[in-house]
Amino acid sequence: MLVAEGVGKRFGSRWIFRGVSFELEKGDVLAVLGSNGAGKSTLLRILAGLLAPSEGRVEGIQDFRAEVGYSSLDQALYPALTAREHLDLAGRLRKVLPQVEELLAKVGLVREIQTCSTFSSGMKSRLRLALAIQTSPSILLLDEPSASMDAPGQKLVSEIVSEQAARGVAIIATHQDVDRRLATHEVQLNG
Amino acid sequence: MDEILAIFLKEWRTELRARNGLFVSFTFSLLSVVAMGFACSIRTPSGSLGAGLFCLTLLFAAVVSLPRTFLSEEDQGTFELLRTLADPGAAFTGKMLFATLLMLLTGALLGVLFPILTGLEVKQLDLYIVAIVVECLALGSAVSLCGALVLGSPNRWVVVGVLALPLLIPQLAMAIGAFRAALGDGFVAAGWQNVAGLGGYALASVASGPSLVGAVWRRGG
Repeated sequence: MLVAEGVGKRFGSRWIFRGVSFELEKGDVLAVLGSNGAGKSTLLRILAGLLAPSEGRVEGIQDFRAEVGYSSLDQALYPALTAREHLDLAGRLRKVLPQVEELLAKVGLVREIQTCSTFSSGMKSRLRLALAIQTSPSILLLDEPSASMDAPGQKLVSEIVSEQAARGVAIIATHQDVDRRLATHEVQLNG
Repeated sequence: MDEILAIFLKEWRTELRARNGLFVSFTFSLLSVVAMGFACSIRTPSGSLGAGLFCLTLLFAAVVSLPRTFLSEEDQGTFELLRTLADPGAAFTGKMLFATLLMLLTGALLGVLFPILTGLEVKQLDLYIVAIVVECLALGSAVSLCGALVLGSPNRWVVVGVLALPLLIPQLAMAIGAFRAALGDGFVAAGWQNVAGLGGYALASVASGPSLVGAVWRRGG
């Protein structure tokens, strides 16, 4: 379903990582592990189609916008838009039903009517999760999904990953045990 | 089309709440045209000089505010979100349409104030109005293209300036030709020819923009 073969990335002359390979089938959850700067987020950005690998190849994705859901702490939200407006915009751009109320209820933001500039980091993470699962992607990429979450938020991440396993694969970049426990496979990046 | 409209509405909503582009553009334009009014208070300039001054005011109003519609994505960290959500061509077209609307509003304001404050007489009103509209379209599309192409570049504010030079100088020359004729200095037929040239220029930017931006955005890092 998703194959990475000898994937490596360098910025300038410095290799961030090299030789990352894995093969995932439906139902698999891969934890990408490594210390700060090992390249976890960079690997996820490559899988999300936001960066080109310097070597190796990724197979199994034809249309990134339709097939991949991506959520990262580095991904900023539009400060002048509300959560509803984000989901409506994303749905229209990706040509799927926005499912605004359902998704907001799922991530616990249904009562929020303020713009995202007033959101806490946990609320932003919840909205990013909602955006990532809006298209019911076959590949879900979560970069440190529990990092700014409270206990109910961590439970939400766990539920979303379990649901994802029923329809495709999930890849979680993490250094937290709570996320690592959800994985069926692991890849260690050594930087 | 729905994607383009969604991007346009996002820009419109953001502008209404933050009032960055319109406020900057209007303030700068107003200051420029008032300064020119002061400079022309003793002697009214010739049509040729007036055309140059007017084009400069339009140009700087565009350069100050329009690339923001793209560069603010990078500055506020939302460019990555935009790339994961939107088709590059639709994102470019929606933002370019919004930038052009801002430019048209600014152009309308300047088009009224400039002759009043400088004392210049508009001899060919139809040419003057059409030239303002077409120059605003040309500026909106060209400056948007510059902003979109440099997204993701480390020195984007420098690169956008360098990229703007070859894109803006030819259209500046055509716009001056059109306004010169509208202000009574030069042949009216030549003025209309310059308007046609500007229209072609705008059309080229609009047509090539989506594919150029798509190629640059997909390239990644």
